[in-house]
Amino acid sequence: MTAMLSESARATSAAEARFRINDPNSRPRAIRVIALDWPSEAVVKRLAQLPWASATFLTAVASVPRAGERFSVQGWLGDLAGHTKDLIGEIDSADLVVMVATGGENVQVASVIGEACSLKRVMTTALVLGATSISDAALSQTLAQLRPWALMLVIASAEEYIADMLAALRA
Amino acid sequence: MLKKEQNDLLTQTGPGTPAGRLFRSYWIPALLASELADNDCPPVRVKLLSERLLAFRDSQGRLGLIDEFCAHRGVSLWFGRNEQNGLRCPYHGWKYDHTGQCVEVPSEPVESGFCNKIKLKSYPLVERGGVLWTYMGPPDKQPPLPEWEFVLVPSEQSFMSKRIQESNWLQALEGGIDSSHVSFLHRGDLDSDPLFRGAKANQYNLRDSRPVFEVVESAGGLYIGARRDAENGNYYWRITQWVMPAFTMIPPRGNHPVHGHFWVPIDDENCWTWSFDYHPTRPLSQDELRAMREGKGIHVKYLPGTFRPFANKDNDYLIDRAAQKSGRTFSGVEGIAMQDASLQESMGPVVDRMKENLVSTDNGIIMARHRLLRAVKALMDKDAVPPGVDIAHQKVRSAAVVLPPDQPFMDAAKEALAVRVGIAHASV
Ligand code: FES
Ligand SMILES: [Fe+2]
Repeated sequence: MTAMLSESARATSAAEARFRINDPNSRPRAIRVIALDWPSEAVVKRLAQLPWASATFLTAVASVPRAGERFSVQGWLGDLAGHTKDLIGEIDSADLVVMVATGGENVQVASVIGEACSLKRVMTTALVLGATSISDAALSQTLAQLRPWALMLVIASAEEYIADMLAALRA
Repeated sequence: MLKKEQNDLLTQTGPGTPAGRLFRSYWIPALLASELADNDCPPVRVKLLSERLLAFRDSQGRLGLIDEFCAHRGVSLWFGRNEQNGLRCPYHGWKYDHTGQCVEVPSEPVESGFCNKIKLKSYPLVERGGVLWTYMGPPDKQPPLPEWEFVLVPSEQSFMSKRIQESNWLQALEGGIDSSHVSFLHRGDLDSDPLFRGAKANQYNLRDSRPVFEVVESAGGLYIGARRDAENGNYYWRITQWVMPAFTMIPPRGNHPVHGHFWVPIDDENCWTWSFDYHPTRPLSQDELRAMREGKGIHVKYLPGTFRPFANKDNDYLIDRAAQKSGRTFSGVEGIAMQDASLQESMGPVVDRMKENLVSTDNGIIMARHRLLRAVKALMDKDAVPPGVDIAHQKVRSAAVVLPPDQPFMDAAKEALAVRVGIAHASV
């Protein structure tokens, strides 16, 4: 006599796994990766060399104001070739904005990007690198600038994490 | 999303596999001490990391964990007679000691010394904190015994249970570090489960179901912080610990005991979910112990005489659609542990991670996979000791704290995230 299998027991067998529908269940997401400081720009440039389906790489570094200077929103977001990009336009067409920052750096610019993202209802993630080589106080300062604007904040010890994360998100 | 090779790499833990080698770098829980309570008690079959083993306690109380099958003609030694410092195969009488050494082959003359040539594979088995631990790696790399806080506190302060989970270990672990599901799947239980209810902070959870996350690498694994709004502009932080490869500790609630899990591969399609509950500074109360034994909190009710949950896939987890509809439970399954297990098992024995669509709140999971892959690679290429082996990495606590908005949990909660002997865990 064969015992009656429950619906769950039947459905979760290894044999049943091969009947799962194999059609794509999502469309590519537009991901903007933005470097917020000089060391991060170098990281983002290396990342941009890898093949990506739906990620674009930008830099907001030129905007880092010198002491005493006021911040201006005009003409400071650029692609890696140095062409100016329009912030609102870039964010409007994004599903996710990933900000890359380096511990200890001044990343005030996060507030402008973050503000635009919250206006346009775009999800934000901030990745902080180089956190182990600096003091807690210096790190806290960078984090305090990012925290209000990042719905997910990751402090990673290795640069490769960003590539892994983007791949995991199907970028 | 993971590539197929990466998924295979992390989910396969049998002998000779890279992740198998990773698991074989650690002491892992094998059995509850109560399963081998007395000298010469019946032996217990246990499969770990795709190896069929047999555990027994000999006449002197020495613990053995050996190959399940007799070297003569392959009979399971589960039928063996546990007598006079060894386990005797009932078929032709070959006898083995707790190290797997054959000490008697009745058909051969004693003087021939034939039995010296026969030895079953065996692993050390050591009792600590009510758990029998084993180390299945190369003897020359055996690390010091585990020093998790729950193992070191007096026994009346801790409780341990285990259950079989019918899924690969990794999807179970990933559930343990997926903080964003709590506001949905378990929302019905925060105010009703005796091991959760009454904590002041439960209201923060229920009020704010879209927490903001911070994922921070630690020496042994990860801190996963979830931030919700508290009163006066402050933040309520829940900080989960993950220590490699498979230890998680859930943030506490109020003065309840603090708890967490180990996820240990049985084979590639099943794992043991170990669930501990302890209080760092006081004995567990009778009410708490009763609730734990009855399967409340993160524990389960069993099918009598087994470690299989009473609600399991064969009875569709006793899903109650009326409770689901009314919102008493979010998924219709009763109890926190089975809410998790039912969904993780529903993914199939090994979930296909090529099809998933992770989002940014899944960074805890993404980072855990990244750390595991990195550790496996360093182990394979450079023989590097993986994180979590060092007992310093094991001296961690989860925490639940309310902090001012400008304070990162890492700074403000540094002390709360480490074991402080004699001081209670940080909890609201
Ligand atoms: S909503 Fe997360 S698995 Fe379906
Ligand atoms: Fe859960």
